[in-house]
Amino acid sequence: MAEFRLPANSRPVKGITHPAPPGVREARTVRIYRFSPDSGENPRIDTFTLDTKSCGPMVLDALIQIKAVTDSTLTFRRSCREGICGSCAMNINGINRLACTTHMHDLKGDVRIYPLPHMPVVKDLVPDLTTFYAQYASVKPWLQATTPPPPDSERLQSKEEEERIDRPAACILCACCSTACPSYWWNSDRFLGPAALLAAYRWIIDSRDEATGERLDALEDPFRLYRCHTIMNCTDVCPKDLNPARAIAEIKKMLVERQG
Amino acid sequence: MSRYTLATSIFNRFTGLGLSLGLLLLVYWLTAVASGAQAQARATHLLSLPVAKLVYAALIIGYCYHFVAGIRHLVWDTGRGLERAQSQRSAWLVVLVSIVLMLVLGWCAFAGAHAP
Repeated sequence: MAEFRLPANSRPVKGITHPAPPGVREARTVRIYRFSPDSGENPRIDTFTLDTKSCGPMVLDALIQIKAVTDSTLTFRRSCREGICGSCAMNINGINRLACTTHMHDLKGDVRIYPLPHMPVVKDLVPDLTTFYAQYASVKPWLQATTPPPPDSERLQSKEEEERIDRPAACILCACCSTACPSYWWNSDRFLGPAALLAAYRWIIDSRDEATGERLDALEDPFRLYRCHTIMNCTDVCPKDLNPARAIAEIKKMLVERQG
Repeated sequence: MSRYTLATSIFNRFTGLGLSLGLLLLVYWLTAVASGAQAQARATHLLSLPVAKLVYAALIIGYCYHFVAGIRHLVWDTGRGLERAQSQRSAWLVVLVSIVLMLVLGWCAFAGAHAP
């Protein structure tokens, strides 16, 4: 269902303003969403002052600096720090993106960091992605074939066949796209969301996969696939420059075309 | 992120909703016409009040936009125009074309009505 306001116990309140560390040369204000499930309190927006001269250039560097220097309880996911693991996806200045590939210079005004929208929050900037991963698993993201592979080689693909899956297979499952989609916000229990549908598309068009029919059957559903209304936020925010919107449109086309 | 496609999408929804409500006016008009001269006279009076013209203007805006945006959706359904840059260009195109259409229809509805 459409929801236009957060539940009363999820609305952020004004939080703590941490004093600037001594000897700041170039100050930058960073506002961060804080929530602790144990406190029983509403989420709050804490304000930090960062010395950008003593900090790396990316938003992730800022978060690491704040955690190391100002507040060690600040909680966020991160791993590769180079846009390949998808762990540090969060909402920065109103747009879902990876903290590690977002340059502080590219952000106007204060840096405002929230967890991915419309997801249950585990703590601070860590969203609960259980449903998201379950949806990914539900599209059976692995090769399904009844024909045994050639005895003396792998299942080979032509260059063209590989090129078709090359981009969709580059998805890092950061969840930026799905959590930017209003349809997903409002029907995440039944709509698979752009990330899972992009994964489904990647296997549907794989020349080695033999379960195309079953895969399309599983998607032919008013909610799982057809809640996509081509809003295109997914393609707009994807930090890997992928195009889930086109993948979904292609799946819809295939469903029509196979009816003959 | 540009938000153009987001804006065109939500405006398409709102205009669609508005047009469904506007359809009720048409239903009222047809019902009145079918219910005899007295009801028809009252409906004609109500529907030609100045405030009704505002409603018609809103309906023309909604109709033109929804019509053009709907064509964009049909093009998308063929798998075309779904690249990020293309979808942003078509967002502008939808706004421009629908404004032109609004002016044409608006002229026909309001200025054209006074022509001899």
